[in-house]
Amino acid sequence: MACFDGAFFRLLALNPPRDPVRSFRYMAWALACSLACAGCGPSQFGYAPNELVAASLLREEGTQKPQPIAESASQVVEAWFGSLDDPRWPADKLQGIVGEENIVSMEGVQRSAGAVGRGNDKVERGLYRKHCVSCHGLSGDGRGAAAMLLSPYPRDFRRGTFKFKSTPHGSKPTRSDLVRTLHEGIPGTSMPSFAALEQSEEFQEDIEALVEYVRFLSIRGEVERKLIAKRVREGIELSPEDEECVAVLQQIASRWASAESKVLAIPSPPELSSEELRASIERGSQWYRSEITACVKCHGPEGRGDGASQDFDDWTKDWTILAGIDPKNPGEWKEMKPWGALKPVIDRPRNFAWSSFRGGGDRQDIFRRLVLGIEGTPMPPIARAEGNNPGLTDDQIWDLVHFVLSLGENP
Amino acid sequence: MSRASPDWRTGLRWWAQPKFWAWAAAIMIFPLIWVGGLVTTHDAGMAVPDWPGTYGYNLFLYPVSTWLYGPFDLFIEHGHRLLGSVVGLLAIALCYTSWRFEPRRWYCWGAVGLLFAVIAQGLLGGFRVVLDARTIAMLHGCGGPIVFAVAVFMALAASKDWRGASATIESRGMSRLSTALLLGTILQLYLGAQLRHTLPSTSPVGFLSMVHLHLTVALLLALLILLIAFVVRRRAYSAAREIRTPANVLLLLLFVQLTLGLATWVANYALPWSELTAWLSQYVISAKGYWESFLVTGHQATGSLMIAAAVWLVCRVWRRQAKLVSQPVSSTISEAAVSPFAQAERTA
Repeated sequence: MACFDGAFFRLLALNPPRDPVRSFRYMAWALACSLACAGCGPSQFGYAPNELVAASLLREEGTQKPQPIAESASQVVEAWFGSLDDPRWPADKLQGIVGEENIVSMEGVQRSAGAVGRGNDKVERGLYRKHCVSCHGLSGDGRGAAAMLLSPYPRDFRRGTFKFKSTPHGSKPTRSDLVRTLHEGIPGTSMPSFAALEQSEEFQEDIEALVEYVRFLSIRGEVERKLIAKRVREGIELSPEDEECVAVLQQIASRWASAESKVLAIPSPPELSSEELRASIERGSQWYRSEITACVKCHGPEGRGDGASQDFDDWTKDWTILAGIDPKNPGEWKEMKPWGALKPVIDRPRNFAWSSFRGGGDRQDIFRRLVLGIEGTPMPPIARAEGNNPGLTDDQIWDLVHFVLSLGENP
Repeated sequence: MSRASPDWRTGLRWWAQPKFWAWAAAIMIFPLIWVGGLVTTHDAGMAVPDWPGTYGYNLFLYPVSTWLYGPFDLFIEHGHRLLGSVVGLLAIALCYTSWRFEPRRWYCWGAVGLLFAVIAQGLLGGFRVVLDARTIAMLHGCGGPIVFAVAVFMALAASKDWRGASATIESRGMSRLSTALLLGTILQLYLGAQLRHTLPSTSPVGFLSMVHLHLTVALLLALLILLIAFVVRRRAYSAAREIRTPANVLLLLLFVQLTLGLATWVANYALPWSELTAWLSQYVISAKGYWESFLVTGHQATGSLMIAAAVWLVCRVWRRQAKLVSQPVSSTISEAAVSPFAQAERTA
């Protein structure tokens, strides 16, 4: 059955035409190919090399041909992390790292990787392809089949950046952070809640297994990115045994190993009478409009997400602004389409009137978002007053939390 | 009763009438399609790793308690296989009764065709498991509604309407419209199956093209059904009022299907413009939730019903078309075929 390897889908990855007549021909052609090729399908899949990162870095250098570099980095990570169907953990390269054994549970990774189905032991495998692949893609690159139709785009795990977490900016998320996202889902987006799985005894461990695989894909993808950067910027030859390459692997793994110890404790919310709450909201309104927080710039004076500053997320900036490409100029960003770039989309600030908070809507969640920011997005952490550092005190941040919640239509 | 009588079949007991077995097969195939749709919705195609057995057991000997109380994906996959076997037995019964008692030779061959189609479906399902090939799963998913359509055709061809219809439609327009509708619904089914059985390596552009195609064909089919529903109400078709029933059913199914299609997208991916309202902004998809599975599977099953309804319309139109004058059933039926049952009936 491996008589064709998804060839027609790859052919379809050519730039689609824009005018209606050509679009119709394009669809007719897609249908004809689809009818002709039905009955065959790939039996083996592989990781997609990160050509987009290679292309954006090479653009800075003024050279082209990202494929060989992306391919060489892909081979090194494949030697360390195995293939899609047979994942491995490079424990031998990570000896000496504190907590190395706790970075990823390979039992969960093995259950999540590979094709969907049960073996003779009746244990279900291929959880990632069952639940995640249509959006996040086989490699965790956020380029699953449905990616172009979703807003926001599915997350590319390979950057190692996660929005909703309990650790400071620049730190990795904890397991609980990822479990929470899978359990709760993300309102207003295509990220579902997997809470229904936990109601059934047989699926209770599936979320934990998926979290392990997301961690695995993130580490693998981040190592691949850093290796590509090293190859482009420093010109070193990539090899699984090269000390500098191994150092990249160890550096990234150790950041994941230390994530659990960096969780920021959030104070309990104050108990307020209705009078005190009104006063708190009033104070919060002032902080909302102050220079220290600058909330108005993005969220607008009424909190409708219509502020003057509308920016892109870091996943987009990576291959646009950082590579000298204007994301608002189609003539420029389309250069990167052959390497897997999707159309840049503004990361719109939250409209508080809808009372929909993607990282959780209770008071502590919003406090956490304010003090930690949302990594990978234009939402920065608020400066906290500590010692001589200027910023907001915890009480002032609670005022801001109360004000933000009061902007909802059903506060 | 005379052999030449159009109602000669009433001389047979129920279990000897091909009509009974054709309807039984058609009625059983619909839940089979539902369960098959659930298998796809829950990605349970490989819940049982072997075929034709189930975890080493003969299909019919797999312990009931393990089946009923085991994992849900195993429950639906094994249930799908068992239902498929029942449909196979019904198709065999239809074949037997047709060749034994049905005078129309083409109908007998039609029964054989249905049996082969059911067997081919079973084999496709089996190869999907043995080869672990998702594309065969897609073909298997397309084949189910086609088998359903054939079974519905066999049931309709044994109905009173088929035998009693007389030529009252002079224009060929309606037969062309209904045929185009039937082909369109089958094409739409194929496109839907492409979306349901997306390969993990499918490119976003490929998927996007397929979604656009699916929506374009949906729009064309909607216009076609509205046109048919309008045309059959014209005076020219007053002598063939029977074709209004399938046309009305198609209209009803169209609205159900469009609603389910939108709901399927929301249940799978949410709406891309979530900032429009507070409800959309707060909506959280539930992965593998009960209602979500119901909507997605219902969209696929309603697509099968639309194909069956299109077959129904085509049959009624064609039988009323000029030059297709219905004649009383041929008198070639053998004495031996009728007599044992007719005599038994009389005796009773």
